[in-house]
Amino acid sequence: MRRVIQSAVIALAAIVNVSGPANAADLTIAMPNWWSGKATANIIKVGLKKEFGIDAEAVEMGTLTAFAGLDSGQVDIHPEVWLPNLDNLVKRYVTDAGTVAMSPIGVPAWQGICATRTTADKDGIRDISDLSDEKKTAVLDTDGDGRGELWIGAPTWSSTEIERIRANSYGYAKTLTLLEVQEDVGMAAVDAAEATQRPMVFACYAPHAVFKLHDIVRLTEPAYNPAKWKVVLPAEDPDWLSKSNAAVGWDAAHYHIAYAASLRQKHPDVVRFLERIDFKPEEAIDMSYALQVERQDPLAFAEQWVAKNQARVDGWAKP
Amino acid sequence: MTEPFNRQASSGAPARGRLAKLAALLAAGLVLATAAAFAAGGTQVYDPKTRQWISYDRTKAAKYWRQHKQVPEAFRAQMVKFRTAEKPGTIIIDGNQHFLYLVQPGQKAIRYGIGVGRDGFGWAGIVRVGRTAEWPTWTPPAEMVARDPNARKWAGGQPGGPDNPLGARALYLYEGDRDTIYRIHGTPEPWTIGLDVSSGCIRMNNDDIVDLHSRIEVGAKVIVLMQGAALYKGV
Repeated sequence: MRRVIQSAVIALAAIVNVSGPANAADLTIAMPNWWSGKATANIIKVGLKKEFGIDAEAVEMGTLTAFAGLDSGQVDIHPEVWLPNLDNLVKRYVTDAGTVAMSPIGVPAWQGICATRTTADKDGIRDISDLSDEKKTAVLDTDGDGRGELWIGAPTWSSTEIERIRANSYGYAKTLTLLEVQEDVGMAAVDAAEATQRPMVFACYAPHAVFKLHDIVRLTEPAYNPAKWKVVLPAEDPDWLSKSNAAVGWDAAHYHIAYAASLRQKHPDVVRFLERIDFKPEEAIDMSYALQVERQDPLAFAEQWVAKNQARVDGWAKP
Repeated sequence: MTEPFNRQASSGAPARGRLAKLAALLAAGLVLATAAAFAAGGTQVYDPKTRQWISYDRTKAAKYWRQHKQVPEAFRAQMVKFRTAEKPGTIIIDGNQHFLYLVQPGQKAIRYGIGVGRDGFGWAGIVRVGRTAEWPTWTPPAEMVARDPNARKWAGGQPGGPDNPLGARALYLYEGDRDTIYRIHGTPEPWTIGLDVSSGCIRMNNDDIVDLHSRIEVGAKVIVLMQGAALYKGV
């Protein structure tokens, strides 16, 4: 879901409610609509109450609204700001306006192409170069035309366009049929493949619950190299595909907690707390899994998480 | 290993009549003639004894049905392990494997065998069950009426019953409030389960569609996988 932000930031501004939340809470946390974001928003909420007795309200809102709220003072905290995806917002509010601040600690995120363990072990698809070997990719055929299929993402994600560029650049666009369809369909296809021990390769990103749901292997590929990453998006040029070339892995992404700069005066203790929060990618996967797959209530999950990690949470709050 | 599976309801169809009709068809050698209308598909069936996937085509399907009066074990309704983030009550259709999953609590699913269409256009995505019907009336599409004399006599609608192509129940798939004209339905031709038949939506054995119908709610999410998913207009 977070990846939609990449291509839909402008659209979000038009559809989300831009009026500020009216509540009696001391602080307002912008809660994203994706699973780990819901979990982290609630963990911060529970942590603030436990450590400082502060009542914070987690209010679901889009990223643009959240940044506008951080800028105006109507929102105090955003638990997951993805970089470099939101570099433009960070430049506007953090660097230029100085009204929003970011925690220096980021949770590393990853994206690339994944395979199920069976596919890697039995069918030998372990590296991105294996996708250009039609003898190997034939096992990925699911429609009887002898050619494998590869889900590269949802049609609304800009990452999907980049996956198409990568497929062209690496050459596996010639050996595989690239499929674009909603994420739920892509993930259900992985579920169905696993249920029948059939091979499956797909575009993926972490943290994501799929890594806990199934035994998933990330395909190896050459590391990101800015000199070899030439990406032109369709919005920029109708000839984007022919003008692009990216036969390397994705650049590493991180997500950070953002907060209103005004908190530094209002609640320096809270700022110190926020800047020490150090979620690990594995924890983010567990959070997504608990909320998305186990359907745990986000607040109840957060209360348990804080209780289980009491010493750590206390450490974030130490003077 | 097939996990025990208790049906919630049965179709109540006149089974003796259906079998008698099947016997008559067999006697007339019509099953193979019907089977010849199947599109060449790439269905495979997992044989738990040899742990191999074996091809399953129209000839094998017809032969198996003649011998056993039921479809191979893989295509019979059964509870299977199914790890997914989708919530219980969601339907996932894998046209390539000829399985329909109804997600259950505890990372399990009831898996039913299905027959799917191959011609026409492939389609995948997320829809919902907009409405359901018991022993639905079948109205052949105009193009079928034009080319098929058998369909012509039902141009005004064939009443529901054991000979009706929609079988015992139909789940009408909607996108928002719009009928997509795709259906999950029963069939009077149970031997076609597991195959890519020459025309049709998603078809299931009547007992299976009755069972599925009894378990789902109107509004249930239906995910149609992109692999080999060919659903198309009419039946």
